[in-house]
Amino acid sequence: MIKVEGVTKKYPARLAVDHISFEVARGEIVGFLGPNGAGKTTTMRMLTGYLPMNSGKIEVAGYDVATQAQEVRRRVGYLPESCPLYPEMRVDEYLRFRAELKGVKSSVRKAKINEVKEQCGLTDVGRRIIGQLSKGYRQRVGLADSLVHDPDLLILDEPTVGLDPYQIRQVRELIKQLSEKHTILLCTHILPEVEAICERILIINEGKIVAADTEANLHKRLHASSVIEMEVKADKVAAITAIGGMEGVDLRSNNILADGWIWLELEADTPDMREELFNLAVTKGWALRELTEQEYSLEDTFVHITRNREGV
Amino acid sequence: MSMFLSLFKKELATCFLSPIAFVVLFFFWVLTGLNFWWLLVQLADGESLTIATQQIFGGLICFSLLVVVPLITMRLFSEERKLGTLESLLTTPLTAAELVLAKFFGSLVFFLVLWFPVVAYAMIQKSLSPVELHQFPDFGAMRAGVFGVMLVGGFYISIGLFMSTLTSNQIVAAISSFAILCILFFSGLFMAYLAPNPTLRVFGQYVSSYTHLLDYSRGIVDGRSVVIYISYTLWFLFASMKVIESKRT
Repeated sequence: MIKVEGVTKKYPARLAVDHISFEVARGEIVGFLGPNGAGKTTTMRMLTGYLPMNSGKIEVAGYDVATQAQEVRRRVGYLPESCPLYPEMRVDEYLRFRAELKGVKSSVRKAKINEVKEQCGLTDVGRRIIGQLSKGYRQRVGLADSLVHDPDLLILDEPTVGLDPYQIRQVRELIKQLSEKHTILLCTHILPEVEAICERILIINEGKIVAADTEANLHKRLHASSVIEMEVKADKVAAITAIGGMEGVDLRSNNILADGWIWLELEADTPDMREELFNLAVTKGWALRELTEQEYSLEDTFVHITRNREGV
Repeated sequence: MSMFLSLFKKELATCFLSPIAFVVLFFFWVLTGLNFWWLLVQLADGESLTIATQQIFGGLICFSLLVVVPLITMRLFSEERKLGTLESLLTTPLTAAELVLAKFFGSLVFFLVLWFPVVAYAMIQKSLSPVELHQFPDFGAMRAGVFGVMLVGGFYISIGLFMSTLTSNQIVAAISSFAILCILFFSGLFMAYLAPNPTLRVFGQYVSSYTHLLDYSRGIVDGRSVVIYISYTLWFLFASMKVIESKRT
């Protein structure tokens, strides 16, 4: 659906996007992450044909963005970051106007507008003036607008900014539903959102794609070792020597808890050592009440990848 | 074409939704009302009829265009840029030409609405006049006057529209178009009437909007001035398109 090859974008003072390449297949739902100023919005604007690139090639739905921009725009639904709308128009007017601009045929226009209004929960506010709507509703109007011409590809730049937690959940559900019919590129700062929705993740930093994989693979690649916490009832010195003496285990910290149990945190080279630790406790005759492998959040991975890059 | 139409309708609707438009309408209509009243006073004093239509479209009223047009056009692209809606417009299949033309014609129609009461006054005057004043207004001169106002207005609007593509600040757009219009208008006016050199004075008569509007409202439509206005207007619209296009692929 999207094919980006060696695309570079220079602004007068700096290099915004530096020779990036990536692909998104039809039907995928991909999270596009990066710190502020990494080149996310620039990349999205180039994908929609709003910004020209300095070099490279972008294909969307099989059309070249540079030479067949009209065709590309017909097939892309784009929700810009600030969700720009005309404050003086009514919701219905705005959606009709946008549908006309996007060439939705007049025979299906009304039905299509009603459909997206229902999808985005706008049925009751059709007559309201956009300028008087809350941020959450405005965001939904923007989303409805990006959907109204039934695009193959949806590019959403921070679609849940400014929504309350309940609305965020609704929008997430909606995006999930939409992913059945559309390819989606979701750009956001909110990492749990990506974890909850996206199948694959692209991370961009300082104009370069630094990671493109599924979330699980990213974790695996980054965290070959695992961190395990355990609580045992044993003699402290014996426990420390026994566990510290295991092969490939690095005991990071220990503590005697108020109730006399010993808390240990250790890092292991192998992905999961819990079975060995359990067996050790059994042979030594320790009581064991906690044995947890620390889960890495996407946040850890994200920070790890983007910070590493800065260090280079 | 259908995209052009829906954008044109939207532009025109936005004109009438903006408070600035109503302020402009109100003051312009007050001004034209006073202008007409003054004309009637002059006619009642036995002033000759030849000045009548001239004073409706030309004369003092054309100074107000220097302010009115920038107030109409400052919004056009500056507001879209400020709101960020230019981005959402330019990511639809719309072409830059359709966008610029829709905004131009939207403003031009609004501009012509400003002149509507002027025409209405003249009609009322005609139906109520005593016999000796019956040849006023002369409808040929009226038509030429409206045509002239449309030409000059279109040219001024295209300048204002061009200036608004360059900035996201409406005030900057308004002031810079006002400045450009003033330079054009007054340099033409001074050249036509005050230049010491007679050749320069003739040249001034060719380029001054003031003299053109006086001519049109006397019923004289000079083909040369028509060509000047249309080609300048097209040039500014073309430049605006290029500015918009330069912001996208």
